Amino acid sequence: MRNFRDIPISRKLVIIVMVTTTAALLMAGLGIVAADSILFRAELRRDLTALTRIVADNITGALAFNDPKTAAETLASLRARTHVIGACIYRKDGSVLARYARLSSFHCPPPGQGGGIRAEGDHLTASQTAVLEGKPVGTLVLLYDLDELSQRTRLYGSMVLGVVLVSSVVAFLLSTRLRAVIASPVSQLARAATAVSETGDYGIRAEKVSGDELGLLVERFNEMLAGIQSKDSDLKKALAEREAAFLEVEKERERFHFMAESMPQKIFTARANGEIDYYNHQWVEYTGLSGKEIRDWRNVVHPDDIGANIEAWQEAVAAGQPFLYEHRFRRADGQYRWHLTRARPMRDASGRISMWIGSNTEIHEQKEREAELRRANEDLQQFAYSASHDLQEPIRNVAIYSELVAQRYRNLLDDDGKMFLGFLHEGGRRLARLVSDLLAYTRAGVAEIEITAVNAGEVLKHTLAALAEAMRESDATVTSDELPEVYMSEAHLQQVLQNLISNALKYRTDEPPKIHVSAAKRGAAWCLAVRDNGIGIDPRYKERIFGVFKRLHHDQRYGGTGIGLAICQRVVERYGGRIWVESEPGNGATFYFTVPQHARTVRSATV
Amino acid sequence: MGPVAGWLRNKLRMRLGLICLIASAAVGQIADQTVEYQVKAAFLLNFAKFVEWPPNVFAAADSPVAICVLGKDPFGQALDEVVHGETVGSRRLVVQRISKVPAPRMCQVVFAGSGEKDLPEVLSSLGRGVLAVGEGDKFLRDGGMIAMVVENRRVRFDVNQTATANAGLNLSSRLLTVARSVKN
Repeated sequence: MRNFRDIPISRKLVIIVMVTTTAALLMAGLGIVAADSILFRAELRRDLTALTRIVADNITGALAFNDPKTAAETLASLRARTHVIGACIYRKDGSVLARYARLSSFHCPPPGQGGGIRAEGDHLTASQTAVLEGKPVGTLVLLYDLDELSQRTRLYGSMVLGVVLVSSVVAFLLSTRLRAVIASPVSQLARAATAVSETGDYGIRAEKVSGDELGLLVERFNEMLAGIQSKDSDLKKALAEREAAFLEVEKERERFHFMAESMPQKIFTARANGEIDYYNHQWVEYTGLSGKEIRDWRNVVHPDDIGANIEAWQEAVAAGQPFLYEHRFRRADGQYRWHLTRARPMRDASGRISMWIGSNTEIHEQKEREAELRRANEDLQQFAYSASHDLQEPIRNVAIYSELVAQRYRNLLDDDGKMFLGFLHEGGRRLARLVSDLLAYTRAGVAEIEITAVNAGEVLKHTLAALAEAMRESDATVTSDELPEVYMSEAHLQQVLQNLISNALKYRTDEPPKIHVSAAKRGAAWCLAVRDNGIGIDPRYKERIFGVFKRLHHDQRYGGTGIGLAICQRVVERYGGRIWVESEPGNGATFYFTVPQHARTVRSATV
Repeated sequence: MGPVAGWLRNKLRMRLGLICLIASAAVGQIADQTVEYQVKAAFLLNFAKFVEWPPNVFAAADSPVAICVLGKDPFGQALDEVVHGETVGSRRLVVQRISKVPAPRMCQVVFAGSGEKDLPEVLSSLGRGVLAVGEGDKFLRDGGMIAMVVENRRVRFDVNQTATANAGLNLSSRLLTVARSVKN
């Protein structure tokens, strides 16, 4: 059987009308039949009561004079009542005086106690005491069948059924005509909806035929369709645009791939999500990989590098920032070679990343050279350090003993001897300073650094205290701006400042030296400047002065070892900074150097 | 005397013995004279119940209905026992035995046995308002109103309605339907 929910609405309406009509009529009919049955029973009881009373009254004489014949004649008059099954007259002692039976099978029941009417099975039993002058003289018992009742019920029932049948037919005909009022707008709506979903044409509209809720529904449906239609066309337009943009990107990608094939370099491209979608011929050839499953950069990166490498790549993709990474790639012969991989995102007109383009450049030899150079430099430094360290002792001996000779044997020497001894003494002192500066220089390269924030102003104060005597001698003035906090070891900063200031005191004119220290922000770093009013530097020598033992002046007036600025450069560069000078001869010089503004990793033992 | 009659006699002592007697009579077993008169005594009482007297035949509003046995009494104790405690309407029933024609308003029912002499004279002198009950086929011809007869060993009765109407008495139709014959 089909589920009722699935039946079309028009059929549903007919069924509902039919069911309700039939049910209502049936209920009403049943009610009528039931009420009639009850009323009829009551009527029957009243009738029967009257009948038994009359008969009982009529038989008092027969009872009083014990006359069965008369009694039987009286009872025989009951024949007119066809529903009387039988009747019996009992004497006071319970014996039967007379009986009447419609059918011969009737037997008198034992006389009941008391009067009244009892329903027994398919008949009623009425009993009535016959009373003469207030005294009971006998009893009448009368049995009445209920055929009449069931006949009546049958009659009424068939009448009700007939009415129900006729009404159902009428209801069916009426509802068949009337269902169209509701069902046709609904089916129209359904047809429109089906047409829309089958054809995808949102231009279809349902026809509004009524002003009721169904009409409202149709109206809303049409409004909804209009809304969908406009959204659909927007969506289609957007999709088409997107498709065009995608095709454009694809075309660009293909063009780029074509170009990349002709390049000597290893080239790859990636989707916006970082997934590599192309390696050029050179890449494949270099790595010796082929086939789809092994054509993956992750297979050729050195196992020690791969973890951090993937992480860095994902970070770059997520941030949309250019990717720059040094790692080892396995060549086709199985050897791992250092590569520098660069990748940059390419953006479309809307600023979204459309693809990544990257290259892998082999830097293995360069890297090896660097390492060799570093090793050589470290050896050299080690050598210089131990050499200057070991030289200190004999040089100090030269200085001490030349001093001793000068003091004790002064009178034994002639003027030439005294002069030679002076030269010897002076040479020893210079040698000692030279060696100690050399030591400082090499130390600046190798010592471990602990970096904390220091106040450059404080460091300047300590520096000036250390130089107090030299400043007094030269009658110099040192001024400064407010100086910032910088991330540099205090010893290193003092070393740099002390070197620069003592240079300024040293290379002076006849004027008393005037030195000013200032600071300015320069990107992520502070730029400190030391300006003087000294003799200045010829621009030609701007670079040379930072070399070891590069002295411009061999004049006795300007003593020094020629290592100070080299130490400064070494220290500053160690912090990733830069040192340079700007000057015009005769107008003084300004030394600039940059220092980190924030804590950052400082690699030790750089060149 | 049969065993049934002996059993009945014992029962007669009881107040409701009458009904048993009628039941016995219905079977048609009139064993002897005694039983016959016991039935007749009951009939006599019942006649009184189906008769409507005009009010002026009673001495007072609460005067009893008197059943008078004229001359020889054939009932013995049976009549007294049957009548004892019975009423007609609001009036009690009493039994009196008389030897001559009663005075007006003294008796409402007069029973004259078949042995009475000069019955026609006696009956005609009874006056209005008195129900004359007797026995035998001849009683009605003598001017009686209700005559009890034995037929097929059963007690029946005939009614002379002209006589009762002349006496101003109204007999119930229920009595008439039970009568063997009604003479108009």
